[in-house]
Amino acid sequence: MELDLYREVSRIRALELLLNRHIEEHGFGGFWHPGLGQEAIQAGAVSALRRDDYLFYAHRGLGYALAKGMSPVTLLADLFGRSGGSVGGKGGGTVHFVDPELGVLGQGGTVGSSFVLGAGAGISAQMLGTDQVVAIFFGDGAAARGTWHEAALTASVWKLPLVWICENNGWAISVPIAEQSPTENIADRAAAYGVPGVVVDGQDAVAVREATEEAVARARAGEGPTLIEAKTLRIRGHFEGDKQAYREDAGDGLEVPRDPLKILRERVPAEQADRLDAEAKAEAEAALEQVLAMPPGDPGVITDGVWV
Amino acid sequence: MSAEPPPTSVRTFPPSAAESANAPSEAPQLGYARAINQALGEEMRRDERVWMLGQDVGKMGGVFGVTRGLFDEFGAARVRDTTLNETFIVGAAAGAAITGTIPVAELQFADFMLIAGDEVFHKMAKWRYMHGGKLSVPMVLRLPTGVLGGVGAEHSQSLEVLGMHFPGLKVVLPATPADAKGLLKTAIRDPNPVLFFEHKGMYRTKGPVPEDPEFLVPFGEAAVRRQGTDATVVATGLMVPRALEAAEKLAAEGIELEVIDPRTLVPLDMETIVASVERTGRAIVVHEAVRTAGPGAEIAARIQEAAFFALDAPVWRLGALDTSIPQSPDLEQLVIPSAAQIEAAARELVAI
Repeated sequence: MELDLYREVSRIRALELLLNRHIEEHGFGGFWHPGLGQEAIQAGAVSALRRDDYLFYAHRGLGYALAKGMSPVTLLADLFGRSGGSVGGKGGGTVHFVDPELGVLGQGGTVGSSFVLGAGAGISAQMLGTDQVVAIFFGDGAAARGTWHEAALTASVWKLPLVWICENNGWAISVPIAEQSPTENIADRAAAYGVPGVVVDGQDAVAVREATEEAVARARAGEGPTLIEAKTLRIRGHFEGDKQAYREDAGDGLEVPRDPLKILRERVPAEQADRLDAEAKAEAEAALEQVLAMPPGDPGVITDGVWV
Repeated sequence: MSAEPPPTSVRTFPPSAAESANAPSEAPQLGYARAINQALGEEMRRDERVWMLGQDVGKMGGVFGVTRGLFDEFGAARVRDTTLNETFIVGAAAGAAITGTIPVAELQFADFMLIAGDEVFHKMAKWRYMHGGKLSVPMVLRLPTGVLGGVGAEHSQSLEVLGMHFPGLKVVLPATPADAKGLLKTAIRDPNPVLFFEHKGMYRTKGPVPEDPEFLVPFGEAAVRRQGTDATVVATGLMVPRALEAAEKLAAEGIELEVIDPRTLVPLDMETIVASVERTGRAIVVHEAVRTAGPGAEIAARIQEAAFFALDAPVWRLGALDTSIPQSPDLEQLVIPSAAQIEAAARELVAI
């Protein structure tokens, strides 16, 4: 299990580093919200899902969809607005990756809107008796949305098969969590809805995976939702290019304290870790090269998909 | 008046599919609310993926009684009472729609879709588009609309134009019990999201409603409610019976109005409207929505774009005053067009 997790964290890390470097050197037409340092949550939680479980990801990084099985070529093509993306060239920046076969159901541009949609996916699963679970990722900023409380209220009464995974990186754009939350833990809010609220070390992929496995088992057994709060750090700005002038503790944007990759590395043989790192780096570089050679989205797609 | 007014209207074109879809008069009489109820029951029986959610739609049968009896037949899993939470009602419906079920969500008042604005106008309307057409959102949002008598500024509005302004939403406004049933069944079978504006002031209106479970009224086909030669009146919802009342009054004076009910604003059957205006040379659009930037502004603009040289007079619009709806049941009627106002406006237009 550790080796599989290491592979996923390393693949996500390689993409993060490559993207950050590419954007620094070549600029970027859209907005990229880097997820450097938060890879353990994305890889760990998604590894506890079944292939047909549903995923509503958040906007910080590509790791959620990559770990769910989407190809880095597809994801980067979406990011760079290329024709080979999952949305057929309509993407750009932090976009709406989608893959119905893998249960990747997309993301709204209004942060926190997945709570109510995710509940709806849970209703479908419950009604159709499919045994599927819905994983909904969000940040500490999105935890403020009424949509979470509104979904949590009914989801807990109806025992919907949901797992909420909060990536608490301590910053809602420019405002620290202490100025946004009266309690130290966002997970405390679960108590109001009679569901478990679990705090986990978000730098430890194994811990995240174990917490998610428990939540998934509970959801699949018809016992209802769980709120997992994974404590992590925001290494870079809200978006690539954000100088973080509001932040005294901003580091150099490169060093990852309590680095999830290093934490995992202690649990796997070094030579295997090296091999996986090399594979991840090669995969990311090949994907970017392939994507940059793709044509941009055809203007013909502009009006595609308005109607069935 | 047009140059050669015949005493009664004579059809010069074959009856449209829309007209033949109108209910045969021998069908049993049913109220508008019961017709909606019948459509819901039939579609839930036909397809077990169809389900409902909303406040008090369960044992109570809805605040207007529209869903009465469905909880008993289909149970709590398919007729779900929600909390007071429009965001959840619409958002969960959208999430369910992209994952294999077909929700019919009810908001107690159409005005409340503003509470769920993000869910209606972004998620319902755009989820498919934003995700490359790989997901679809087959859901219906039932929206009791219009004035009812004393429910005030936030429970009486006609907001259908908002649906026209967000590509991706179909917009339906039935004006008869048969259309209420046939259009709702079509809406439930449509793979796109539909805003279904049912007029709460017309819930008790009776009319012939076919019992055939395959009775469907297609979208995008206007109904010619009355044939006439002197002016075309395009009316929706409650304004349809009022326009017909005005037309009967004017007929006594020798003025023959053609009354067209588009039935769906998205898609909009401009073909029928333009063909009519090309014969009558005059058009007036009547709706209960506020006149400024209402649906009539769009319809009037499209008429003049398509039929400018056939027009003998400007295209007029009648709508609600640019004010909020007062709570008083007497005063609220002064805000929206009356049959007498439609009659006076049409008389004046025909005299130009």
